[in-house]
Amino acid sequence: MNDTRTPPASATLTERYVQAVTRSIPEAQRDDVAAELRGSIADQLDARIEAGEPAEAAERAVLTALGDPDKLAAGMIDRPLHLIGPRYYLDWWRLLKLLLWIVPPIAAFGIALGQTLAGAPIGAIIGATIGGTLTVIVHLAFWTAFVFFLIERYEVGGAKEGGVSNPWTLDDLPDVHATRARFADMVVNLVFLALAAAVLVWDQLFGLVYLDGRWMSFLDPGLWPGWMGGLLIVLAVEAAFQVVLYVRGRWTVGLAVANTVLNLVVAVPAVWLLSQGMLLNREFWDAVIPDDPEKVYGILSVLTGFGIAAIAIWDTIDGFLKARRAGS
Amino acid sequence: MNDEDMPDVDGQTIHLQELRRGTVVLACLRLLSEPGYGYSLLESLQSRGFDTDANTLYPLLRRLEKQGHLTSEWNTDDARPRKFYRTSPEGLRLAQALTHEFRAIAAAIDALPEED
Repeated sequence: MNDTRTPPASATLTERYVQAVTRSIPEAQRDDVAAELRGSIADQLDARIEAGEPAEAAERAVLTALGDPDKLAAGMIDRPLHLIGPRYYLDWWRLLKLLLWIVPPIAAFGIALGQTLAGAPIGAIIGATIGGTLTVIVHLAFWTAFVFFLIERYEVGGAKEGGVSNPWTLDDLPDVHATRARFADMVVNLVFLALAAAVLVWDQLFGLVYLDGRWMSFLDPGLWPGWMGGLLIVLAVEAAFQVVLYVRGRWTVGLAVANTVLNLVVAVPAVWLLSQGMLLNREFWDAVIPDDPEKVYGILSVLTGFGIAAIAIWDTIDGFLKARRAGS
Repeated sequence: MNDEDMPDVDGQTIHLQELRRGTVVLACLRLLSEPGYGYSLLESLQSRGFDTDANTLYPLLRRLEKQGHLTSEWNTDDARPRKFYRTSPEGLRLAQALTHEFRAIAAAIDALPEED
């Protein structure tokens, strides 16, 4: 019954129907659903044939009444048939609107500035700005919807499990100011992450500092694209984390653990790169402080390393403190 | 047999479906105090005037089982193996609560001003 191959053309309509239903059902429940469905179809067939209906017409009628197999499968495993349901729709929509107000203008400004600095002709500046801004808008729309799509499906302990045993009381009424603050926190964090990503990419592609008649990057140019790509992915995960945190409404031990993992994923490679002399752009520091660059670079590396570690440790502890205060 | 096949008089169908939905849950929980399998339950529901389709009943049974209101067991004694469901103690309490609520609603409706 674990056989998920396409049935041969001679397979009965019933068998094809059962396969169509069970193909999207998780392995663990598949045999159970298939067996029950087969039994049910057979029972209904028998009843119709006993009533004098020809077998073939009866089979067609039974299967037609069962309807779209994907819809039935979704019902069997309680899988929502919408991207974002009423529970999160307003959160998603509010966040998307706000981000659309903030991020595309910044992106447009940044792209235009970059193109201008690179000495592009006016046509190219306008073209790149419009194109780049549209791309940013599409990404915003896609990623916010995607994060909420995942929350809708994988949020545990939500209203679905609570069922009838979770009466709503006035105590559940969110404090208006607290909610707004949390919402604002999330938006600030998201915008900050987007800006951080933009600055990192800019630094690698164009350079952040103008020295000795040319633009230089602050971080080692060798980080592009491998290390930097990884960091951008972590930043995206961090953004998703911020949304989940907002939707949950409070820190939990699980979220604090996830926060710790995210901190480790950033801090450990960063400190390692630093110790290998691969994080900061050597050339830049040599240009800033020409005297005894070796010593300066060494001191700077130590300071940066401690800085990274301190931020990661503080943020990790802060997450757990907030989780404990939230009483989880 | 299927609500969707009925002519939709003044958009009534969708309201009638909404109203019936909860009553099928109640009927299942009460009927399954005696163990039963899908098709037998479908038959008794229909014969007792609870208009239900197979494609809503099976998902409903699974949902109630997942919530702990039903327990299930495969019976392989017959030539055709069947999954028997039975209302759990928790499900019986739910059925009681639903019945109570339904009576209260019926009483409340009776007390509404008469229609013309």
